[in-house]
Amino acid sequence: MKLVPMRRMGTRCNVIMEQPLFQHNKPGRCVTFAEYRDEGGFAALQKALKELSPKQVEQAVSDSGLRGRGGAGFPTGRKWSFVPRDLPGPRWLICNCDEMEPGTYKDRVLLEANPYSLLEGIVLASYAIGVRHAFIFIRRGYETATANLQRGITECLAAGLLGENILGSGFSCTIDVHSSAGRYICGEETALMNALEGKRANPRAKPPFPAVKGLWGGPTVVNNAESLANVPGIISKGPAWFKALARTPEAAGMKLFCISGHVVNRSCFELPLGMELGEIIEGPCGGMRPGSRFKACLPGGASTPYFSAEHWQVPMDFDPVAKAGSRLGTGGIVIFDQDTCLVAATLNLVRFYARESCGWCTPCREGLPYVVHVLETIEAGKGSREHIAILQDHIKLLNYAFCALAPGAMGPVQGLLNNFMDELEEHIDKQRCPFKARE
Amino acid sequence: MPKLIIDNIPVEVTQGKTVLEAAKSVGITIPHFCWHPALGKAGACRVCAVKMVDGPVKGIQMSCMLEAQDGMVVSTTDAEAMAMRKQVIEWLMINHPHDCPVCDEGGECQLQDYTIAGGHGLRRYTGKKRTHVNQYLGPHIEHEMNRCIQCYRCVRFYQEFAGGTDFGVMGSAGRIYYGRVADGPLESPFAGNLVDICPTGVFTDKTARFRARYWDYDMAPSVCPHCSLGCNTVPAARYRELLKVIARQNDAVNGWFLCDKGRFTNSAVNAPERPRVPLIDGRQVAWEEALAALLLRIREIGTEYGAESLAIVGSSGLSMEAASLLHLLHEKTGAGSLCYFVDAGEAQQSATVTACLNEQASASMADIQAADLIALVECDLLQDGPMMALAVRQAWRRGAKISLVEDAAGTVAQNDNGLNSTDKLPFEVERVASLIDIPFADAAHPVIIFGGGDKMSEVMAEAGKTGAKLACLLGGPNSFGAALLAKEYGAISLAEAVADKKVRAVVSVEADIPPELLPKLVVVATLDWRNTETVKAAHIVLPTTAWVEMDGTYINNEGRAQRFKKVMQPGLPIKGLNPSLHPPREHTPLVPGGQSRPAWEILVDIVHRLGSEEDIQLFAGQWQRLRDLDATGNGLLLTDIERGIK
Repeated sequence: MKLVPMRRMGTRCNVIMEQPLFQHNKPGRCVTFAEYRDEGGFAALQKALKELSPKQVEQAVSDSGLRGRGGAGFPTGRKWSFVPRDLPGPRWLICNCDEMEPGTYKDRVLLEANPYSLLEGIVLASYAIGVRHAFIFIRRGYETATANLQRGITECLAAGLLGENILGSGFSCTIDVHSSAGRYICGEETALMNALEGKRANPRAKPPFPAVKGLWGGPTVVNNAESLANVPGIISKGPAWFKALARTPEAAGMKLFCISGHVVNRSCFELPLGMELGEIIEGPCGGMRPGSRFKACLPGGASTPYFSAEHWQVPMDFDPVAKAGSRLGTGGIVIFDQDTCLVAATLNLVRFYARESCGWCTPCREGLPYVVHVLETIEAGKGSREHIAILQDHIKLLNYAFCALAPGAMGPVQGLLNNFMDELEEHIDKQRCPFKARE
Repeated sequence: MPKLIIDNIPVEVTQGKTVLEAAKSVGITIPHFCWHPALGKAGACRVCAVKMVDGPVKGIQMSCMLEAQDGMVVSTTDAEAMAMRKQVIEWLMINHPHDCPVCDEGGECQLQDYTIAGGHGLRRYTGKKRTHVNQYLGPHIEHEMNRCIQCYRCVRFYQEFAGGTDFGVMGSAGRIYYGRVADGPLESPFAGNLVDICPTGVFTDKTARFRARYWDYDMAPSVCPHCSLGCNTVPAARYRELLKVIARQNDAVNGWFLCDKGRFTNSAVNAPERPRVPLIDGRQVAWEEALAALLLRIREIGTEYGAESLAIVGSSGLSMEAASLLHLLHEKTGAGSLCYFVDAGEAQQSATVTACLNEQASASMADIQAADLIALVECDLLQDGPMMALAVRQAWRRGAKISLVEDAAGTVAQNDNGLNSTDKLPFEVERVASLIDIPFADAAHPVIIFGGGDKMSEVMAEAGKTGAKLACLLGGPNSFGAALLAKEYGAISLAEAVADKKVRAVVSVEADIPPELLPKLVVVATLDWRNTETVKAAHIVLPTTAWVEMDGTYINNEGRAQRFKKVMQPGLPIKGLNPSLHPPREHTPLVPGGQSRPAWEILVDIVHRLGSEEDIQLFAGQWQRLRDLDATGNGLLLTDIERGIK
């Protein structure tokens, strides 16, 4: 196994960065409505409703290069542009805050500190798309964030920033917070819509895409909370400003990275997109824990293939990470040191996905428990070469599942086979887990 | 009409068909579990994978989810597609039991077929199988959840198609469970379709469980006799016992399904008390003796009361073959009355309905499903034609408006249990006071469903004015045919005949003489296969065959003549060997209890014995067109012929 020597990348990290999402954060508590307003909050909303047409808001978001922060990285402005404006009946906006990916907790950190950026972003997005009723679909466990949002909605309503005739512009919009019943699959946008409609949270077939036929059959946009919270900054300071926040010319804006694993500082950081992986670990993360050496990481949450030490210099942005064989995903970086058995880690991850399958399609419902069983067998020291073939079959064929859950679940398995095959083979050859003490 | 190429075969299909259906149309079967013609696509099982080689979509795709489009080039034999299909079978077989030989579904199991077809033989998975607890779902349906492959067909049928609410899917991931919240009989009147629709053995017909394998059955295309809709069925029998009835697809009538009444209320065919031997005053006799006695009794009636006092009585349950010969018996005996109906109301209703359907376009069940506005007038759908309620539900699901016309008292018909069964209709209705309140003008395909009561003239007028198609519910499987015959021969109902003509005696042909009339009448003879009160009161009993024991014809509520075929030999069911006769040393060409004859055959015999020299042919005169009727296909719509439509 290759391990690169630790390098200090700190200097560039010490540059003081603008943090559009965290700029209002107060230590140990949630920012108040008055603080947020006095610090320049709601300026974007005033500007948009007074000076900009909905089309101009959409254009600004398109120009900013903002890509969806929920995992897929689809350009937010383009998503809005797909919504047909001429169909009769209401259009809907859903803020997806059903954050349940292991290793990802950015929306919680964001909303526990400041619900107002998101609320302002939702009204702006609703204005751009022509939505009168938006929903925030939030994970049941996020009680503090939910309370903050509900309080924020009340305050915004009282201040005329939400509800009927916002700021005298003639535009009206209401926001409802919906606490999810709590399954991982509810984060899948079509399953989310089913859940919101009170049905089983099974994904729907696409096409039709939600932009055309979504919630209650109406055109629907589903955006991640972080994506929407970035919209006020884009409107108030301009798309060029937002784009320039990133480290590389190809990237756009800042991103919330949630760090967990064997590093010194495990926290959620707002960092420029395009920072190198090593730079993040050495800088804000404060390096590896004493005694730990970097072995691997999940670069973007539990459904992304592992990076190994050879990926140390990959810029953490959507395209470079994809080019390196993984996905930026949600930006939840989970870092493993040299003592971590990646077979056991992968098993732990796939177990989560097998449990969280909605049970609709065969590959996900039956294939993931099969993978769990194979990894258990290998980890227990009873594996054979045939098991590797079975894993390879599943990596390939689970792509033909109904939705993206099963292919995502196979991300770490794929990373294991691509980058850590020697470790897997060692389990099989020695007929035991090399990280466990011999019994 | 998209043109595509599947496995080098050029295919053209109608717009909106899937690649799977396109392949099917040229004889290529792509394996599928969750897709069903009536339920459409689900994309759940993933076993219909094909490779899209060229065209608007590329790569491995689920053929059930993909609409056929111009320029598509499809391979069903592509190595990766086959690998996927094989893998799906392995996945499903991880938890499915390996006990086909002791499963009731074995031999008629889609999973079994595809598992063998895909070549999955060796088990690579070494873990344990998942198990579930089964539920008691009532007397008709057995539940075996361990066999489930989670194709979601059952719940999609039960909830979406049929509107049931007491059965559904629970749990998630590998713990998906289809059942009820608690044990208990399934409430939907269409629950029996779960047996047909389940691609494996989760739901099996409890009444026929472990009685036979698929290849043991005597089967033939048949028609349900339990109401006037004429739903197509396949009765399955073995050893002279009718074991079960399954739905037969006919898109013009019942589609793919059948109601529970049609499926589960057929035990009379096997009933031990069923008349199977000719009887004279309770004494078993030979046919010759019974027929001779019948002639004698008829003559005695003539001497005693005058031939005028005799009535020949048929029924709406009698096959068209027998019904169309009744008038010969009437003529030869010189009987005073010929009746095709017992009840005056039923006779009146059937007469008006047949008359108006000859003028007004009749709505088939397919028409009802495609309607955008449906008015329900004086009908109890769940009682008198459950499958029509299911058809209305499909229209309602597509957005049709359903209006229910209340009678003068502001109420609707109550069923036998005193319940207002409209409350249980599987669709929402808007109640209106009168037909005039219904906006027919706004509808493109309006249909009026009429139960045949006092509002006939009002319904006729409205249908004529608005161009709405008319669907009427009648009393029996051949009410329409009986009404046509009654008109042809100027017949009246028995009730009227008794009142007007002082009928003293009857010869009943599969008729049910009501209890209030029985004491007033001498039942000279009854031809029947059921052990009815009329049979018990009859001096002479001539056993007929049930509908499953003969070829025959019914004309359904819309005037559709449908042929049904003989499924099984009449005779006492074989219930194992008699130990005292083992090994059997006596042989007889006679089938025990197998003396029943089709009613029409007995009628011909009697007419000959009454002195007719002529060669009696079935379906003479205007009925000749029924001679070449095929048991498959959509039958013959007589109302169209009446109105000059080919």
